[in-house]
Amino acid sequence: MSFVSLVLRNLFRQRMRTALTVVGISVGITIVVALGAITGGLKDTAGAMLREGGADFMVARKGSADLTFSAVSAKEWTQVASMQGVERATGVLMHVTRHGSNPFFPLLGIRAAQLEQSPPELVAGRLLAPGATDEVILGTSAAADTDSAPGSSVTIAGKPFRVVGIYRSDNVFYDSGGYAPLEAVQDIARKPDVVTAVYVTAQAGAEPRALAVAIEDAYPELTTVRDVTEYGKVDQGIQIMDALNLAVSVLAIALGAIAVMNTMIMAVFERTREFGILRAVGWRGSRIMRLVLTEALLLCLVAAVLGTAFGVLATRGVMLIEEIRNFLEPTYTLDVFVRAVLIAAGVGLVGALYPAYRAVRLSPMEALRHE
Amino acid sequence: MSSVPAIDCVDVVKTYEEGRIRALAGMSLRVEAGEFVAVVGPSGCGKSTLLHLIAALDRPDAGEIHVAGHDLAHERSLDHYRAHHVGMVFQLHNLLPTLNALENVQVPMFELDLGGAERRERARQLLETVGLSERERSRPAQLSGGERQRVAIARALANDPSVLLADEPTGNLDSEAGRIVLELLERIRAERETTLVLVTHDTDVSERADRIVRMLDGRVDESSAPRATVLTLAPPTLRPVRGS
Repeated sequence: MSFVSLVLRNLFRQRMRTALTVVGISVGITIVVALGAITGGLKDTAGAMLREGGADFMVARKGSADLTFSAVSAKEWTQVASMQGVERATGVLMHVTRHGSNPFFPLLGIRAAQLEQSPPELVAGRLLAPGATDEVILGTSAAADTDSAPGSSVTIAGKPFRVVGIYRSDNVFYDSGGYAPLEAVQDIARKPDVVTAVYVTAQAGAEPRALAVAIEDAYPELTTVRDVTEYGKVDQGIQIMDALNLAVSVLAIALGAIAVMNTMIMAVFERTREFGILRAVGWRGSRIMRLVLTEALLLCLVAAVLGTAFGVLATRGVMLIEEIRNFLEPTYTLDVFVRAVLIAAGVGLVGALYPAYRAVRLSPMEALRHE
Repeated sequence: MSSVPAIDCVDVVKTYEEGRIRALAGMSLRVEAGEFVAVVGPSGCGKSTLLHLIAALDRPDAGEIHVAGHDLAHERSLDHYRAHHVGMVFQLHNLLPTLNALENVQVPMFELDLGGAERRERARQLLETVGLSERERSRPAQLSGGERQRVAIARALANDPSVLLADEPTGNLDSEAGRIVLELLERIRAERETTLVLVTHDTDVSERADRIVRMLDGRVDESSAPRATVLTLAPPTLRPVRGS
């Protein structure tokens, strides 16, 4: 008989109670994993937006609650483009509209010449022709959704376009969208002489970070975003998701800990006499504490595994909804699973510490007298 | 008489309920190594309390208790003392209900530096000693009262203690099972040269001890213990065994 088999034996005593506790903690872990995967997907999309065209950083309007609300004027764009150290400054106007089954179809307005400088991976047709105003290239998902191919006609936000090419993107957001001439998108969005953001590529030898600082110094109403951690400067969405994730994690820990504490206090109370026996035969307090904590941790570890599996299944279930699938792809990073295990371990430790302390504090005689 | 007694209790006082109940009122007892002492007396005279204090399951309010050279008042770890120096057999076997006989005997061995296989082997030998090799897979609920008590004795011997304490070990058993348990305790004491202190109400049991200590109102009843006094002075090897 090993220590672990003793732990297992104790857990299997009250199977229903153990199972219910595991399920309770699993629910919390499920939500943490699902939210983590969804937030990870959003961050991936944000990262893809930042790296648009292989740029070093993005310039947008400071304080925008959402990137689509950002508006950089043509004048500011020109000024940024003319700054020392700037190799390329690509202006993109993002207009989100319903198209096909996708309620969040991103139509990206860009000058044909600039799209050519850093083109997406074409799988059919060609890029936008310079000077054309009614051409569009679609991502593979968007094309599949609307049965479009080069030569097809599509109407986006009430404006007719000719599909001239199909591109592929690793990011579901871009793959579900399309590129159209900047002026056409400005017309649709009723935002003349405005772009959502300017994507800046630094000249060889120029330090992107220093260039970003110089732009912010020169244009205090603009802000630069170099990586996802800075994305909150122009979009509160990910910050809100992160905050939600944290809140859910804290709630999961608190509720899980209460469940574990309840279970373990009952277990310790029911087994008071047994703890007395263990103390009577010489078990150290630390060993008894280890017994109670290990029982709780094992319970939570099982909940972590189940919760993670449920979380992945739940996210996949959500992804069956086409509207969501078109703009969001959950990302299962190691970070999500590590967080689930850590939360479960935290729940176990927090929930079992007091019961374990109670078990250790019992005097052997007091425990042995317990009926 | 040995210079270092196995057990030496001096003026031990133990009260309960904030002093309202006086279980031991200046109890003194000296037990030599290898001796078999039966502690008798009416209910509530403090017999079990004395045993629990010697087993370090509780602490005295006053007085000194020395066991196998350990001053319990100043012992750094009473857990270590309980694990290594005393074995306790309770009236109610106090076995863990979810573990089988073999596993129950292994429980105290977790405090020894033994591997799993070694623990199992040692527990098997102890079950063989108490005649329960065939029942090693049985849980307490599947054992008779006498068998449970024999498993409890095997568990008490798990870490090879020098002192064995038995609190009414035959109190809940029928006469045949009680006889088997008692003979087992006597045999173990003889073979292992273990000091045995046994609390009992049963005069048939106490008569088999080297020495009978009668207790009354929390201390030794001096008025009724001539045999005890004589036997305390005799070395274990020369001591009459019973009935003389």
